[in-house]
Amino acid sequence: MNARPNSVDLSVQLGRLQLPNPILVASGTFGYAREMEHIVDLSRLGGVIPKTITREPRQGNSPWRTVETTGGLLNSIGLDNDGLDAFVEHHLPYLADMPCPLIVSVAGRTHDEFVSMVTILEKFSGIDAIELNVSCPNVSHGIDFASDAEMCGRLISDIRHACSFPILAKLTPNVTNISKIAEAAAAAGADAICVINTLLGMVVNWRMRRPMLGNGMGGLSGPAIKPVALRCVYQVAKAVDIPVVGIGGIASIDDAMEFFVAGATAVQIGTANYYDPTVSVKIVEALPDALQEVGAKKMQEVVGSLRLEGSLGDARDSSATMLADG
Amino acid sequence: MTKSLHAEFHADDATQITAKVLLNEQIARETFRLRIECPKIAHAILPGQFVMIRLSNHDDPLIGRPLALYETVVETKEAGPAIEVVYLVKGKFTSRLAELTQDQFVDVWGPLGNGFLPEPTDHLVMVAGGIGYTPFLALAQEYLNHKQYGKPLRNVSKSQKVTLCYGARSAEYFAGIKAFNHLGVDLHLSTDDGTRGHHGLVTDLLQNVLRETSLPHRIVCCGPEPMMKAVAEIAQEREISCQVSLETPMACGIGICFTCVTKVQEDGGGWDYKRTCVEGPVFDAPQIVW
Repeated sequence: MNARPNSVDLSVQLGRLQLPNPILVASGTFGYAREMEHIVDLSRLGGVIPKTITREPRQGNSPWRTVETTGGLLNSIGLDNDGLDAFVEHHLPYLADMPCPLIVSVAGRTHDEFVSMVTILEKFSGIDAIELNVSCPNVSHGIDFASDAEMCGRLISDIRHACSFPILAKLTPNVTNISKIAEAAAAAGADAICVINTLLGMVVNWRMRRPMLGNGMGGLSGPAIKPVALRCVYQVAKAVDIPVVGIGGIASIDDAMEFFVAGATAVQIGTANYYDPTVSVKIVEALPDALQEVGAKKMQEVVGSLRLEGSLGDARDSSATMLADG
Repeated sequence: MTKSLHAEFHADDATQITAKVLLNEQIARETFRLRIECPKIAHAILPGQFVMIRLSNHDDPLIGRPLALYETVVETKEAGPAIEVVYLVKGKFTSRLAELTQDQFVDVWGPLGNGFLPEPTDHLVMVAGGIGYTPFLALAQEYLNHKQYGKPLRNVSKSQKVTLCYGARSAEYFAGIKAFNHLGVDLHLSTDDGTRGHHGLVTDLLQNVLRETSLPHRIVCCGPEPMMKAVAEIAQEREISCQVSLETPMACGIGICFTCVTKVQEDGGGWDYKRTCVEGPVFDAPQIVW
């Protein structure tokens, strides 16, 4: 007989960071967790990545800040946050006490600011890892670090020396060759690569001859970007020998499994938290059965198990056709 | 820049469920009333709070929409406690919502937002523009002590009088008139085209009501922003307490996306963006930078 679901080992290792399961919630899509504590059982999550913090408070961009697109959401929030000092004082005590791992997302305007933020955070307990948001498309400079392999590598190397946190580098898909950036991040000492942040996009009202977002352009997320994210996970997983965390349009157990098979060791649920606040726990609950379905007893058995030889189309397999139809 | 902190709000009573549609009927032109079975939300929700609703198993539209509480319905033989919302059909989401029939499902999470504060007043003056009338039936019930809401049930001191100044584009858009009349609400109507009531602005009605009332009063308001701004200005001139319920577009309704920001006055001068979903949707009118 098949093993019972509770005998499946869901734990994963992202470099120096161990997670009880591979389902994380992405920065900017889960507030500071407290907003969700009555809707989501935080103890079930693999980890929480609160909204990105910056050194100084940021007012954020002018409305509208999000606009729905077909199967997606275009946003330009502009890292609206109260800054590092307020985070440490008002959010960290709660977050550090959460019954799941805490990965703090930081964004610096400059190399030195990034390093100093991490140095400050190092003084506080309860932080399990740092995610470097080197890829927010909605603030000037933020995107630059992950657009340039050398700059990105130098930043991660200095942060690795400045702190003892495991380091997750969140990269942008808005580059010609994401593998090159990932390779630089890995060589510099990142524990894991998170792909992808949002795709730069635009929505216009042609009658008004105006962009819909207050900031003109924004980052596209949601189910619409899932194929792009999967492709990036696949490419990056091939290019580096550190774990990859998949992000982009994940809203169901099937979505999550696709990312694992393509090479992700863990995934982050993002936009789906907005329109289905309990989605993350639903995916955690469905994971043991999904692993069992393919005869796996632990995550490592499915991660990167994608096979390229022989196409489903050639096989004329009716069950595969059914899957392709969704 | 001095910047006040974002509120550390968390929705204590919020739950997410897939709820059965009990009723979805047209009650005025392009206007529908939806009743959904959701016992926990129905027990906890307060006038002025809202829920997020999404079509179950549909990714188009992708994002949920905020809808204010219209009324709660106690348990019946056929169904458990339910809430009602009223919506105007104007886009993809509301068009599809209008097609739902009994026993179909929607995803719903709530109750969300702060709702109206139960400040006592002898004369509650409610000012509504179009679909903005929806939060006021429950509020009128509370102030006339016909019904209590929330968990535990909250007490509101009874007002001597509750007035509704209700403006619509045209007579056929008025909804809920019977319910307000039945409740004993002092009703004043205006239309843009003169097809019913005063031919003109709802603020004209408000000015008349304020001139005539001899009771201590306060104003609550919901509708299009230019109308709320005008009402806020009238209240300020007359030094009357006024609360407005904003209809800012939202993506999550629970404070996690930072979409629905509105300019709010800072104590030390200047302004900051605040999330309408968790710090509102009800604000003291002088707080808003119009």
